[in-house]
Amino acid sequence: MTIHEKTNEIKSQESGGLFQNLRNNGLSDPQTRTKMMERLRDNVPFIAITLVILLFWGISGDRFMSLRNWTFIAQQTPVLLLLAFALLLVVTTGSIDISVGSNLGFSAYMAALGMLWFGTMGFLVGIFAGVLIGILNGVIFSLFKISSFVTTLAMLIIVRAVLVIVSDGRSIYVSDQPMSNSNITSIEAKWLLDLGQFPHILYVSIAITFLLWVVYEKTIFGQQLKALGGNEKVLRLAGISVTWFKIQVFAAAGFMVGLASFINLARSGAATVQAGQMQELDAIAAVALGGTVLTGGHGSVLKTVVGALTLTIVANGLTIAGVPPSWSMIARGVLLIIAIAISLNRKQIDVVK
Amino acid sequence: MLDQQPILEVEDVSKSFGGVQALKSGSFKLSRGEVIAIIGANGAGKSSLIKIVAGVYKPDKGHITIKDTVIDPMHHNVGYMRQMGIEVVYQDLAIVPNMTAPYNLFLGRIPRKFGIFVDERKMRKKTEEVLAELKVKTVQSLSRPISEMSGGQQQSIAIGRAIAWGKEIVILDEPTAALGPNETKEVERVVHEIKDRGTAVILISHNLEQVFRLADRILVVHHGITSKEFQKTEVTIDELVKAITLG
Repeated sequence: MTIHEKTNEIKSQESGGLFQNLRNNGLSDPQTRTKMMERLRDNVPFIAITLVILLFWGISGDRFMSLRNWTFIAQQTPVLLLLAFALLLVVTTGSIDISVGSNLGFSAYMAALGMLWFGTMGFLVGIFAGVLIGILNGVIFSLFKISSFVTTLAMLIIVRAVLVIVSDGRSIYVSDQPMSNSNITSIEAKWLLDLGQFPHILYVSIAITFLLWVVYEKTIFGQQLKALGGNEKVLRLAGISVTWFKIQVFAAAGFMVGLASFINLARSGAATVQAGQMQELDAIAAVALGGTVLTGGHGSVLKTVVGALTLTIVANGLTIAGVPPSWSMIARGVLLIIAIAISLNRKQIDVVK
Repeated sequence: MLDQQPILEVEDVSKSFGGVQALKSGSFKLSRGEVIAIIGANGAGKSSLIKIVAGVYKPDKGHITIKDTVIDPMHHNVGYMRQMGIEVVYQDLAIVPNMTAPYNLFLGRIPRKFGIFVDERKMRKKTEEVLAELKVKTVQSLSRPISEMSGGQQQSIAIGRAIAWGKEIVILDEPTAALGPNETKEVERVVHEIKDRGTAVILISHNLEQVFRLADRILVVHHGITSKEFQKTEVTIDELVKAITLG
């Protein structure tokens, strides 16, 4: 937002407030309350993350609030963050993509295979695979008019199965030195393992976040995302090619998953059949915790970062506090519902399906 | 006379959806600076007729001529019609509610910077100009979603879009159905301005008094056929009602 816009907004708020006071003559209470609720709703992600940090700091003290632990959090967040970005693009248009977890596993494996075949630059095969799955999602959803939920649910199953077939259940490991054991398939790429460590992984994430922010806030593409989530029919009547645009959106999401899979490969040091399993749920939760309404039309890159961070911190904090993994899952589920409950404006909802 | 040369000629167009024939035969002509009102009962085919002119539907048969150019069915789409200078204000589908006024004004024509970026300054400037031209003053902020504006202001943005780019023909589908009396008066004033500029206007309205205030000619659609046409000066409301109900 430019300074000019900001001043305009402040001006308009002032004049709006004055006007309202004059008109309502002190009876403006419900309206003021609505406005305050709106402001609260806008800031839910920031409030949530602050509360969560304070909570775990209180429980675990310095074991949570240590440089070592925050370095760990900085390493844990990026993969989830990039998956959440993929979902942010799709959810802004009012659709959903639950195939990102399977796509992550598949693309990471393809990246490893690519490096096995073509050397260093072979990792691009993985990015390409991610985009390809995205395009496939988009084509089925947009051209065949099958809802995005059903389309990507089917792809979640299919892509995972394809991964099992392609890999034959075997993992590919990344190592920093030549491996002598011939029973293990491995690629030698020290640079990749370095990339998966702090601080490199953080720099990469910040760079991608910034680029996505530019795309989301400043480009025609980003604007169209929000408009599509607002009212598709109006766009169609205005002659905008919605069908083609939707395919682009899913392709862009696939690209994000491709990047996520690459980071995941660097981070975990292996391409496995299980990689990314259930991660679509974390990614959806991160987007929702970031205040993006799942019905589309609005969203924020920055708040999605906060959402992904919050989720990572909760998982991390619960582990440090000694909570068993199953209870940790339950806590995260409850957190998701609370976040969505606050971010929704229930007065505007007539029907819930 | 040169002015009487029709800018739009619709000849015997029809449109079916599945087994339902929404429009059996629609024909009419329109000249520069002329306001034609299309009236008819609900489901008579008014909407299909204007959506064919707007490029939303391809006609099954018949053809459309704009400025001496017969529209090739290959090109018959909204984008092409908008290039030809035809703009529509739809009753319920005029704006994207979560986007700003400038976005809605530039809908489908967002100015670009370096190919991919939105030229926000240009949009803002143009929006301010259009709002000034329409004498809309109370717009709170151009960076807020348009849904925060009043119904009249939202409609004026939609009409502003039509005026800004509808150089040849502006189609108004029930433009005042959801507006109060003052806002309605504003819209009617704008219609006169469009007309004075030499742009042709197609108006769909259920409000027959409004039709008499604005239209030069009145076209009646009955059971999918453009059955009757009147000059405003030679018809009474009673005759129109009769034409709407009986054809």
